[in-house]
Parts: sequence; C-alpha cells; structure tokens
Amino acid sequence: MSNFSLRQMTSAGAPLPLSGVAQWTERHFKWILVGPAVLLIVALSIYPLAFSLVVSFINYDFQIPGHAFVGLKNFERVIFDPVARWSLVLTAGLSGVSVAVEFMLGLAVALTMVRSFPGRGLIMSILIVPLFISPVIVGQAWTLLLQRPFGPTNYVLSQLLGYEVTIGWLTESPWLYISLIIADVWQWTPFMFVILLAGLTSIPPNLYEAAELDGVNAWQAFWAITLPHLAPMMLLAITFRLLDAIRMFDTIFIMTGGGPGTQTYTASYYLYTIGFTQFHLSQATAGSWLFLIVTALVVTLLVRRLLRAEVN
Amino acid sequence: MNDRERRDFQAGLEAEVDAFMRGEPSRRTFIKRFGQMTGMLALSGPMLATMTDWAVAQQKLELADPSSPLGQAQALAMKASTEGPADGSAFRAVEAAKQFAGVTLNHTYEAGLQALDPRNFSGPMWEQLTGIKSNVVELSNPDQYSKAVAEHIAGSGAYDVLDISPAWTPSLADGGVIAPLDDYIAKYMNPADFEDYHPLYKALPTYKGKIWGFFDDGDIFALYYRKDIFEDPKNQEAYQAKFNAKLEAPKTWAEYNQIAQFITDQMAPKVYGAGHFRKAGSPGNQFDFLQQYRANGGKLFDENMKAGIASEAGVKTLESMLASNAASIPGNNELDAVSLWAAFLTGKVAMIYSWPPSGRMAGNYSQSATAINFIPQSQIAGKVGYAVVPGNPEHATGYNKALSADSPNPEAAYLFMQWVCSPPVSLARVMLPYALRDPYRISHFKSDLYAQLFPGAKDYLVNLNNSANVGLLDPIMPGAQDYFLSIDRMCTAVWAGADPKASLETAAKEWDETTDRLGVDSQKAFYTEFLKLPGATADNTVEKLGMAVKI
Repeated sequence: MSNFSLRQMTSAGAPLPLSGVAQWTERHFKWILVGPAVLLIVALSIYPLAFSLVVSFINYDFQIPGHAFVGLKNFERVIFDPVARWSLVLTAGLSGVSVAVEFMLGLAVALTMVRSFPGRGLIMSILIVPLFISPVIVGQAWTLLLQRPFGPTNYVLSQLLGYEVTIGWLTESPWLYISLIIADVWQWTPFMFVILLAGLTSIPPNLYEAAELDGVNAWQAFWAITLPHLAPMMLLAITFRLLDAIRMFDTIFIMTGGGPGTQTYTASYYLYTIGFTQFHLSQATAGSWLFLIVTALVVTLLVRRLLRAEVN
Repeated sequence: MNDRERRDFQAGLEAEVDAFMRGEPSRRTFIKRFGQMTGMLALSGPMLATMTDWAVAQQKLELADPSSPLGQAQALAMKASTEGPADGSAFRAVEAAKQFAGVTLNHTYEAGLQALDPRNFSGPMWEQLTGIKSNVVELSNPDQYSKAVAEHIAGSGAYDVLDISPAWTPSLADGGVIAPLDDYIAKYMNPADFEDYHPLYKALPTYKGKIWGFFDDGDIFALYYRKDIFEDPKNQEAYQAKFNAKLEAPKTWAEYNQIAQFITDQMAPKVYGAGHFRKAGSPGNQFDFLQQYRANGGKLFDENMKAGIASEAGVKTLESMLASNAASIPGNNELDAVSLWAAFLTGKVAMIYSWPPSGRMAGNYSQSATAINFIPQSQIAGKVGYAVVPGNPEHATGYNKALSADSPNPEAAYLFMQWVCSPPVSLARVMLPYALRDPYRISHFKSDLYAQLFPGAKDYLVNLNNSANVGLLDPIMPGAQDYFLSIDRMCTAVWAGADPKASLETAAKEWDETTDRLGVDSQKAFYTEFLKLPGATADNTVEKLGMAVKI
C-alpha cells in the first residue's frame, strides 16, 4: 500500500504528474479491464458464428475445390432433403416423449423422496449417478444389454415370460425408438428429479399443515398447493431438458448408427453425417442455422412461458 | 475500541481511501497480476506441449523374442536398414535420411490399434536408425480425410505423412493436399520394390500418370470357415443326401446361402451357418453389396454416369444378402466387425467373410498382444479353413501412405515412407500381432517367417494372395463416401423390411444427386480413370488380365 496520502498531495498543492503511458492507461482503464473478456468472446463466439454464416452461403466442401458464392443453394438442399425433414420430425418426437417420461418419473421419485426415511441419502446418491456418466458410455452400456446375440435382455425376458423373445431392439421399429427413449430416460430422469426435489423442499410446510387442519386430502393438497408452487420449477426443468434433448446424438451414434436406413436420424445426427461423413460442410452449416432458428423459436416460447409463470 | 485504536484505524482507512482514489495501487496490482497471468499463459503453452509430448511420446522400440518368427523378421528389417543390400530401398532411405537427424515428422494414423505400429515399432526404429523423431497424430477414419484437407486450407504444415484411403487419392491430389512422389522415387527407390507389390495393389496410388503414395495395407476380404464342421462325416452325409453335392467351401453366393441355411438347420442354436457385420454405419453393408453386385454383373454407372444399381443385378444382390441374413445367427443385422469376430472366435458361427485379421485372430496369434485382448481367445484355433469369397472379394478400403504437400520436411517424410513400406520393414510390420496392417507384397505372401506365425498361416497367406488375384477395388473417385453411405442406408432399410427395388431406386437417386453435385463430366473422368485399374470390375480382375500371382 502506498504511504503517499491524499492529505500530503493536497498539501503539496498539485497532483502527482503522470507519464504519457499512465495518462493513456488512466483514460482507457475501463476498456483495458473488459478488453480481454471481449476479445475472448469475439474470438470464441462471434467470429465462428459470423464465419459459419458466411460458410452457409458459399461452397465449402472438402470434395469440391474453391469457395464460390452459391446464394441459398445450401439452405435449399437441406429444406428439400426428405432425410432432413424426417430428422426434424424424429427429433421433436423423441425429445418430446423422452422429456415427458423423464418428467413423470422424476416427479414421482421426487414426491417419494421429499420425506425423510432411513437410507434416503444413499438412495438419492445412487439415483443421480447416471447424470455423471458420459452419454457415449450410456449408449454403449445399453447396446451391450440390448444387442443380439450377446445382450441378455431377450434371454431375461424369455425367462420371465415363459416363451422365446426375439426382439431386435436396435434394428426393428418401434423397438429401436423405445430403446433410445429408455437409454435417455435412464440417464436424464435424475436431472428432473433433482430440480423437482429442490422445488418441493422450497414449498412452505405450513401450507400443508393449514390444509390438513382444513381437512384437505393428499390429492387435493397436491393439486391446490404442490402443483401451483412447483409449476415454475417444472417449466424450468422441462425447458432445460428439452433444450438438451433436441441435440440427441451420442446414444444414437453408438446404439443405432442412424439406422436402419435413416430411421433414427435426429437433426444432430443428420448434420453430423452431412458435415463429417460426407464432408459437405457448407450444407451442414446451413442446416445448423435452420436448426438454430427452429430451436430458438421453441426456446423463446418456453422462456416466455417460464417468465410468465414466475411473475404469476 | 479505545482512542488510540480508533486513530490507527482512521489513519489506515484514510491511507486506503487515498490510494483507492488515486487508483494507483489497484491498477498496479491489476497490471502486475495481468502481467503474471500473461506470463503464465505464455509459459503454460510450452509446458503443456512438453507434457503432451511426454504423454503421447512413442514408446521404446518394442522388439519380439529374437527366436520367434516376428523377432527374426524385425532383425532382418534392422539388418536391411543398416547393412544393406546397398541398393535396397530401406538401406538407401536410412542413409539419405541421416542428414535430417533431429527433425520431427508428424504422421496421421487411424486411432487405436493401427497407431501402435508407429508408436511401438516403426517410429522408434526409424529414430534409432536416423535420429528423426515421429509424432503420431491419431484420428478417426473420416478425420484422416477432413483434417488433412482442413490443415491444407489453413496452410499449417501440421502433417508430413498422411495415412489415406486409396479412394481419397483423386480428391486429395487434385486439391493439392498431397504431393506426387515420382521425383523422389527416381532419386532414392529401388524400382524392383514396385514389382514386389501384388498387381491388385500396385497401381492404387497412381493417378493421372503420377504416383501419389505407397500402398500399405492389403484389406482384401476372404472367407473363413469351420473345417471341423464342413468335414464332419455326419454333416457331409446329410448335405450329400439333401443336395446331392459335397459339403465344401462355397464358390457361388447361392451355394453360400444354401450351406449357411443347412448348418443353421442342423446345428442351431449351438452353431449358426453364417454371420455378417450388417449394423448401420459399420462398413460391412457397402463392401458386401459392392462385391456381390459386381460379381453379379452389375455396373456402378452407365455411360452417362447415371447410377446403375437400381437394376436386376441390384435386386438379385439384395435378395441374396437377405437369404444370407435369414440363415445367420440371430442379431446378424446388429453386428459390427468386432462382434462378428467375437461370434466366430467363440464358435457360434461356421462362416464369416471379413478383413485379414480374422485369420490371425482365429489362429489366436493376434491375442498374444495385450493391446488386442478385448477380442476373445479363439476357441476354434486349428479348425479354420480359408477360401476365396464366392464370386469376387472386395478389397475393403486399405491404406496408402501419402506425402503431405505442406510438409515442412518433405524429403525426410518421403524417405520415411520409402523405408517403412520397403519389403523387409513392411514384412515385420504386417507380422505385428496388434497392428491390423495386412500383407500386400508378393514377398509377404511368400514369407517363410510369416508362414510360421500360427498353424495354417501358410494356407492363410496363399488364400489372401488368391483372393487378391480375383479381388475388386472400392470405387476410387470423389464422392465415394456419399455413394457408400447411400448403400449402407439402402441395405439397412431393406434389412428392416423395406422393399428392395424401391430402396435401390432411392439409393440410385442419391447417387445421381451426388454425381450432379460433383459435376457429371468431372465424375465421368474420375470413373473412367478408375475403370482402368485392375480389379475395377469383375471383368478386369488381376486374374482376368493375366497378371495373377501364383504361390
């Protein structure tokens, strides 16, 4: 710390003379402070985003030399590609069903775990383990369980049901969709559970005590107290999860490889295939922008709803 | 707080406030810390690089027991590199490369087992011989193409030696990503080494009259079958009674399906007749379709470059593949290459056709390396017969070593390529139990040392050579990956119940779109070049061109 005090400066009659560099630093100090962060954001976010926008209007294909301007051609290719349209439908369907199931299960588990009971801590720890596992590992684990002829699932089902089960979990419709949903639900239900449990514990217990005094049964208490108080958290959990679910890629890459045919191409898998299997980078970039627009619309809707719920 | 303490506190606070008002100490602190941070960042780069280098550094030269066939082959490679013959490509490469001692060559390699060769064997041996270090950059198969192109666009000079699929050669050559080797070859190489390549592989790196690399991996499909089941008198008798024919390795796809179904009917669930890697995205579908389709007389493109696959030959091929699936192990359509190997090695299927490591694994040779112990021990060692795939086998990708056009050390990189692909060094490499590089030189197929690797290795080598004599090449032209992807989608859709004819038409439409995108005339020129290669069609195999190698 300097031993040169304001009082001494004032008594000397004039402020300390500053060098040119110091004066420049003095004037631009605020910019110096925020500069590195701005540079980092520009380098890591703005520049790639702007570059990707440029790429989507030119030819950027590892098989066709040159980067000629092609206008909307790349967007056209995606829009008129039946596989792209199907991948969007599948993404909506898979993410919608997965998140719905995860929400129902997560809520049920959260309601069960909100009360204290012996072993609750241990069970909660076990329940959230799937959250920390890489989706690739989850996909591989479920493949090992379901893949014929080595996976034990059909054998176990045969033993339980008393007749031979020969389901192609990874190659036959609708079982392959069910398999993908099961893998996703297994991994992400704990996410719903953790958020909803946090919401449940924040509801004041005196509300339930008052309701009990008024003779309200458990079902009525759920509808009249739990649900309205939990609604913002529910919407938050669903929004977060939905945003993640529409990017579903890893489990599909491992479990089905997008097949059979293109039956399990989600939007992310489609874009990956175009960009990194076929090397049509500009088409993949244009597709990513289209996908971003669709996603942004969904997000805006959900976030508005979320904000409205919080205000209410 | 007493008066004195209060005064002290006030004075301290005043000093603090004054300093803050001037901004001097906080600014100084900021600048000091910012400087420290920048300095640390600057230092962390080299520190991290050093740590990374250490973490992924090539191992010490790993040599086999000198008395073993592999050990002897490695000793011969070393001798050829240090003692000659003086006109040998290995010796000449080493002598010329010594002037580049101290430089580091960056090699791209497929991640995993493939990369163990340069890490454990060829990289350290080259360094010992020349003082040139090797940095192995492990990439997934598609990235071996895309990263090479991306680094070329960036002009980074990140790579010196590229491991590429032969199908990529035209794109990479025309794109300026790889450099021709002709001048270096004239200067350094013994021309006799070219004659040692099997004719199917010899011309693979040649494009537009120039040589763009050295072929380095003989990925020919072959049929591996259970001799004990085929030679079982009970099975022989039953087959003879049912089909009035001898139970032996099939020569046509109809025979293949018939035998597969027969064994399944006789022996399931203990053993099934066949197994195939049919999972979506595993390349088994494209290779199998291409080999059967062309063996059935199918043409890939007509004279106007319209896709030819939606044809009678296409339907016949898919129907045959469906019949194979029906006669196969349950879950056949969910298998990838590794799980198919597991099914075969554990004795669950009687016939598979796949890459050459199948034979080494079946003989329990590969599993002698700890790196490959995820493959089960073979329960069928000594019981496996080798045969040519019915019709014509596919040469399923393979690898070329190519010289990066942006290499800062092109001559050193070339000399490494010449040395590593020379007959004695490449023999030692294709004999490594873990490396997945497969025999491709005539001297490999004739090697007495290789023939001692496991019981039946001699027959295995003869069969690989015979397979190459009638083998078919993957299409070598831009867009190959698009065409392959369409076949894979088509096949897996058909396995899931789609109509074969309609699926062929969808795939043909996708092929035409790919051709249009890349330019019909340009693609036609590439295809015309491809058709000149031995093995491009069933009508111009090495054997039909009169160039077959007899062993």
